[in-house]
Amino acid sequence: MEAFLPAYVDALCKEIVQVGGDGLPVHTIYFGGGTPSVLSLNQFQKILTTIQNVFQVLPGAEISAEANPGTVTLESLDGMRRIGINRLSIGMQSANPEELVFLGRIHDVYAIQKSVSQARSAGFDHLSLDLIFGLPGQTIRQWQNTVEYTISLQPEHVSFYGLTIEDETPLGKWLKRGLVEAPDPDAGADMYEWAAERLEKAGFRSYEISNWALLDPIRGWMQCRHNMQYWRLQPYFGLGAGAHGYLDGIRTVNASQIGAYIQKMQAGGPQTTPGSSATVELKAISRWEQAEEMMMMGLRMTHEGVDEGEFIDRFGISLEEAFPRQIQKLIQEGLLEWVPMDGRHLRLTRRGWLLGNRVFMEFVGCPPPALFHNHQGSIPVG
Amino acid sequence: MENIRNFCIIAHIDHGKSTLADRLLQMTGTVSDRDMVAQILDSMDLEREKGVTIKASAVRMLYKAKDGLEYELNLIDTPGHVDFNYEVSRALAACEGALLIVDATQGIEAQTLANLYLALDADLVIVPVINKIDLPSALPDEVAKDLEHLLGVPADSIPRISAKEGTNVEQVLEAIVSQVPPPRGDADLPLSALIFDSHYDSYKGVVAYIRIMDGKIRSNDSLRLMATRSDLKPVEIGIFSPTMRPVDQLLAGDVGYIATGLKTVSECRVGDTITNSQNPIREPLPGYRHPKPMVFAGIYPVEGEDYDDLKEALEKLQLNDASLVYQPETSQALNFGFRCGFLGLFHMEIIQERLEREYDMDVVVTAPSVEYEVVMLTGEILVIDSPVELPDEALIQEVREPWMKLDIITPTEFYGPVMELVTRRRGVYTQQDYPAPNRVQLIFEIPLAEIIVDFFDELKSRTRGYASMDYSFIGYRPSNLVKLEVMVGGEPVDALACIVHKEEAYHKGQRLVTKLKELIPRQLYDVAIQASASGRIISRANVKAMRKDVLAKCYGGDITRKKKLLEKQKRGKRRMKMVGSVEIPQEAFMAVLRLEDE
Ligand SMILES: Nc1nc2c(ncn2[C@@H]2O[C@H](COP(=O)(O)OP(=O)(O)OP(=O)(O)O)[C@@H](O)[C@H]2O)c(=O)[nH]1
Ligand SMILES: [Mg+2]
Repeated sequence: MEAFLPAYVDALCKEIVQVGGDGLPVHTIYFGGGTPSVLSLNQFQKILTTIQNVFQVLPGAEISAEANPGTVTLESLDGMRRIGINRLSIGMQSANPEELVFLGRIHDVYAIQKSVSQARSAGFDHLSLDLIFGLPGQTIRQWQNTVEYTISLQPEHVSFYGLTIEDETPLGKWLKRGLVEAPDPDAGADMYEWAAERLEKAGFRSYEISNWALLDPIRGWMQCRHNMQYWRLQPYFGLGAGAHGYLDGIRTVNASQIGAYIQKMQAGGPQTTPGSSATVELKAISRWEQAEEMMMMGLRMTHEGVDEGEFIDRFGISLEEAFPRQIQKLIQEGLLEWVPMDGRHLRLTRRGWLLGNRVFMEFVGCPPPALFHNHQGSIPVG
Repeated sequence: MENIRNFCIIAHIDHGKSTLADRLLQMTGTVSDRDMVAQILDSMDLEREKGVTIKASAVRMLYKAKDGLEYELNLIDTPGHVDFNYEVSRALAACEGALLIVDATQGIEAQTLANLYLALDADLVIVPVINKIDLPSALPDEVAKDLEHLLGVPADSIPRISAKEGTNVEQVLEAIVSQVPPPRGDADLPLSALIFDSHYDSYKGVVAYIRIMDGKIRSNDSLRLMATRSDLKPVEIGIFSPTMRPVDQLLAGDVGYIATGLKTVSECRVGDTITNSQNPIREPLPGYRHPKPMVFAGIYPVEGEDYDDLKEALEKLQLNDASLVYQPETSQALNFGFRCGFLGLFHMEIIQERLEREYDMDVVVTAPSVEYEVVMLTGEILVIDSPVELPDEALIQEVREPWMKLDIITPTEFYGPVMELVTRRRGVYTQQDYPAPNRVQLIFEIPLAEIIVDFFDELKSRTRGYASMDYSFIGYRPSNLVKLEVMVGGEPVDALACIVHKEEAYHKGQRLVTKLKELIPRQLYDVAIQASASGRIISRANVKAMRKDVLAKCYGGDITRKKKLLEKQKRGKRRMKMVGSVEIPQEAFMAVLRLEDE
């Protein structure tokens, strides 16, 4: 892997130059997917500089990187912080050694603690810890222990994901062959609810189904702005192997194999806007699909939900004109609610947090209402 | 006419009828090698996919025999499944001979005998053929001996072929020419033609498949349907070779078609006689008895608004399948739908699949039921085909159910397991016979309700696939039957009710509730399920409310895939039927069928 890193970084920089150039303002940058902490400081620097050359990185921009415990050192963290990375998302997963082994993680609990304190020494003041729950055989006790330990590390942000087992994954296959016990969905619900209450008590607020932000007296709620961009269905570039982007109502997908990606960028073949030479798929999303996706994504945001004013601005009709039956039914079932915030917002009820699919599915695969004009429009890039 | 041979191919299911037909078509040059596909006569999508013949089909071939003469061979391929037996009897009436195919690896099976007897009853010459000799497990010598025993023809005179590889197939052609007699009609007599099948064509209307007994048809003749006494000018007359090919005239002895232009199959009934309007015959040919539906079930649209589409789809299906009957029905739980009658469970499954695939309908099919006779205290007799119609027990004197004669052929080693299976399902043994060494034919009487579901699968699994069965109706007999009723979410669900033997009510009620608890997915609220019979609650269970159903992660790169997952989940939900406020999946309506112990 390390061997083609230099070539990969070159390819990535070439791609950045290809798609950028107009000094488009950006307010978030996210290094994620896999383990970006394998990059050397120089490589990070090179990528960031390239971005700064062709985009206008706004002052106060959020620049995040994912890091797994055990793959970083005080020195590397120090360097990352110095070159401008200001938010770190640490793939902690669990505070239980057996669970870490089960998940195939190379780190132990000690490494978690060490990474957190090193990040603090390096000057990171926005740390996120990622957890996973609902593992086969996991008890609520074990999970409570993980959550307590997490809180004791004093992160600004916590994500916790219920384990989903998909058929093609190794875990899915073990499950089929009866090698592991299927996780009990009710136990998963208990774990989620317990953690939700505990984090609230510790000063966090849920802003998305799996994401919790601490209230900082000066900086406010420590939400991840980058992820909000996705849930608000706002534009983003997806750069690097396998990355997905979304611009001007067009979704782009890059070649997923690193080798193929490098090759395509080196060859510098034709580039279809808004993609690059490495883009293998471009798909225009119709306006109606965008409206559906805005619901499916926006309703994940447990606090702000979908902003009706924003929806009307984009699509020219109100939420109730677009989805009359769906909204009425889901409110009646106690899964959705209207909240006055800054204008009107439609969001999941507390009960709806764990029943999100029941809600989202009502908004996908629906015919557009007669009122809807399905012509291709563009969204302002944010 | 001396050079015409009309024959059909009959056999037990899967013994290779359609495959042999392929070879005959190829060897006679009716279909070029280039156009050949396996089981070419199985033209319906469903037939091709399942590899079974559902509908008989006819085809004309020309064959130059060893005697130097050219013969017109009219072949009718028939289905082997017991549900479609009536198609076989119809085909027989159009023929003078029948090829009886026996699979050399399986030997004589139940439908081999059943179809053989039908052919003998119709006075046909039987030409036995042993097929699949290419398979290593083939035992052609033994099968030849069994056939000699059964038919009284010398074992070594029976062609041994591989329809798949084409081995010895010319022997079959020669046997047809030499053994099957030519038709005996007279082209100069007034026209009489038998309709032995039909299908619907959107341009040509009902296409009647006919066999001309006497007389002739010219394309501009005026024809009369004797049952309905209606006259018509054919849109077209022709032969199948193998697709429809117009001709100017059809003569006595010929098999062909008349495109009638009629819009409904009931105007042109299979079994009716066609004659000439100017010069009619007096008496119609002896027809067939119309097949009587044996199994009944409700078919409902999942979405109420699709009712009219469902109705139209059933009408269209009936155009090609006159054995399907239906009438409107209303269910408390499922609202508006149709009560449909089928020849058997296989037929029912095929109709359901065709509705779903050819007409893109989402339907709920309720558990199949047989037809009961209910003798009221007043002496009045009601005929009911749905558990819902069963009156209050207090008003009933007696309930009668249909009983069947059941014929099972199995290797002798499975005698015990077969006996056990049948008696556990209320069957009564009557007699046995040994049609071949190591094979026993067991004859039973058994309620139809006990064999429509799962019975054949169980029989197969108990005999490692070696047993075969056939059945026919004997009559109605009184039984101690009660209605098992079900409430879901506090509301009675009539479509889940079933009629069971009183002694089994308790046990089946418990099993049913357990099954339903497994099959009804968790909903937003707790759902109570209970079963009762004769006013007594037998069993209850609770489906607990669903607590968690959410995609944990969804970021930029996931949108398309996650959206697909949600759409898939939505489709699954859409296939369920809302009963009150509870979503019930199709399988739950079938749960009542599988209440045997596991
Ligand atoms: N090995 C071998 N297989 C054969 C031969 N003849 C038919 N088969 C296979 O047996 C299966 C059934 O053949 P069909 O021709 O569809 O049988 P059928 O009697 O028309 O069946 P139904 O119409 O369903 O009653 C198919 O998989 C054929 O390929 C043969 O001579 N040798
Ligand atoms: Mg066939």
